[in-house]
Amino acid sequence: MGVVIEFKNVTYSYPLTDEPVIRDMSFTLEGGKFYGVIGENGSGKTTLCSLIRGFAPSFYKGELQGQVLVDGKPTVDYGPGELSLKIGYVFQNPFNQISGVKDTLFEEVAFGLENFGVPPEEIEERVVEVMKMTNILQLAEKNPFELSGGQMQRVALASVIVLKPDILVIDEPTSQLDPEGTESVFKIIEEMKKEKKTVILVEHKIDLVAEYADEVLVLKDGRLIRKDATAKVLTDMSLEKEGVQLPQMAILGNRLVESGVPLRYIPVTEAQACEVIGEAIRKGGK
Amino acid sequence: MWREKLQLHKTNPIAALYPSCKFLILCLYAVCSFVLGSIGVGEGDYPLFLIPWFFVVPILSAASGVWKRFVHAFRAVLFIAALILVVQALLIPSEKVVWQLGFLRIYQAGLKSGLSLSFSILNIAGMFVWLFQTTENKEFTRALEDSGMNYKAAYVFISSLQMIDVLGKNSRTIMNAQRARGVETEGNMIVRAKAFFPSLVPLIVGAITSSEERVLTLESKGFDVNGPKTSLFELKKSGKEPLAGGIAIVVTLAVIVGRIVVWVL
Repeated sequence: MGVVIEFKNVTYSYPLTDEPVIRDMSFTLEGGKFYGVIGENGSGKTTLCSLIRGFAPSFYKGELQGQVLVDGKPTVDYGPGELSLKIGYVFQNPFNQISGVKDTLFEEVAFGLENFGVPPEEIEERVVEVMKMTNILQLAEKNPFELSGGQMQRVALASVIVLKPDILVIDEPTSQLDPEGTESVFKIIEEMKKEKKTVILVEHKIDLVAEYADEVLVLKDGRLIRKDATAKVLTDMSLEKEGVQLPQMAILGNRLVESGVPLRYIPVTEAQACEVIGEAIRKGGK
Repeated sequence: MWREKLQLHKTNPIAALYPSCKFLILCLYAVCSFVLGSIGVGEGDYPLFLIPWFFVVPILSAASGVWKRFVHAFRAVLFIAALILVVQALLIPSEKVVWQLGFLRIYQAGLKSGLSLSFSILNIAGMFVWLFQTTENKEFTRALEDSGMNYKAAYVFISSLQMIDVLGKNSRTIMNAQRARGVETEGNMIVRAKAFFPSLVPLIVGAITSSEERVLTLESKGFDVNGPKTSLFELKKSGKEPLAGGIAIVVTLAVIVGRIVVWVL
């Protein structure tokens, strides 16, 4: 699949601020790939998401230089609501991501589909399917305001996935979740990848990014300092100096190589670590 | 199967009336209250007809099967009405004193205006309480949209209603947080007044900032898309609307005719 999102020399600053939040950023994202976005707090990750979705500058105003293209068309040229079918956006705080007018969770998840005028039979089918997938069907009759943070986060994800957008922009979807819930969210996102959707995920849990993402974008102070295949970026020890937290396995691999253990490659996930370290031990034993 | 579950199945015929029909009843009731309130009784010209008329509200609520919820919601109105009655009766002076205890004097004009105001409030607010206790928010939304109201205006209306509960919950959370930091929130009036600002400011500022994210949420879910929308919830008329509306109109006419008769005689 071709390029779906393109940044051309993008510099963006919020209104009433002097310093740009995003500085001279240029990159392209291809369709059907899973991109992980990492970086310190305040490095511009959320603003990047808003730019892709078009909320910056159309909603936040502020000053945009350069161009953000979605499917070859600048985001500023899309009409109201047009991008919502193309790009699903799940943002950080799950508690404000409910419509606020629905009494049950089932209707809450159905809210977007109602807006798009999908026939009720189809709405029911799709909502049930997505609620099963995100494991919230047992909560379907609850009031959306009475959920826990983790449940809320899955609801936020479900109510966007149900719209079946081609591109998913997800900003820290697991901040409120326990390890099990986090894993299940990543499983859902992986499912999205299998359906050939483009996923852009902001996430601090680097081990999970290592496991699932195809490519990683590293931001620092509003600049894109690295964009490459996951294994390449996450094994680069020089990034540690830039404040990027690398996966435990990559650090372990690097230390082992430094101390003279010959590894075939630097692992970034547990499975890879088992493989290469196992190989090295077996060789050493002989 | 799910769509069926989401529909409301009300067994009580009054509660099951279409919202606009209930609203008509409310308006007519308010008209009757004004008309009855204009009839003066006795030498003080007291609007005494408002008092028996007020009993319609609790009776209607009980007949609609929402007695408990009605009482719960109505207590605040009752308190305000009582306060208004006392303050007006004691503070509006006139020549004639109806009752005196020490320095407290209840004047005739005060009593008249107090009765009129407090029972008007009880009557009209009581009917609103009845309307909101017998009608679910989603019924309002559907009824407003079906009546041709813009979906955005309908959204604002309903989300404001929902907001009351949510802000109530938030304010309790904030109160607890402030208490944990040593702000005293319980005690006499002065202590409570001091706790007012540290609790209110975060509540309001929080509501404003969350409204920004709410806008983005709506936008992500295609709220602004032009074109027809669909709805899982369908609102049907119960079929008793002409009867209920008819009764309300007949009663109103009777009250107005009665008023004219009293006037002429």
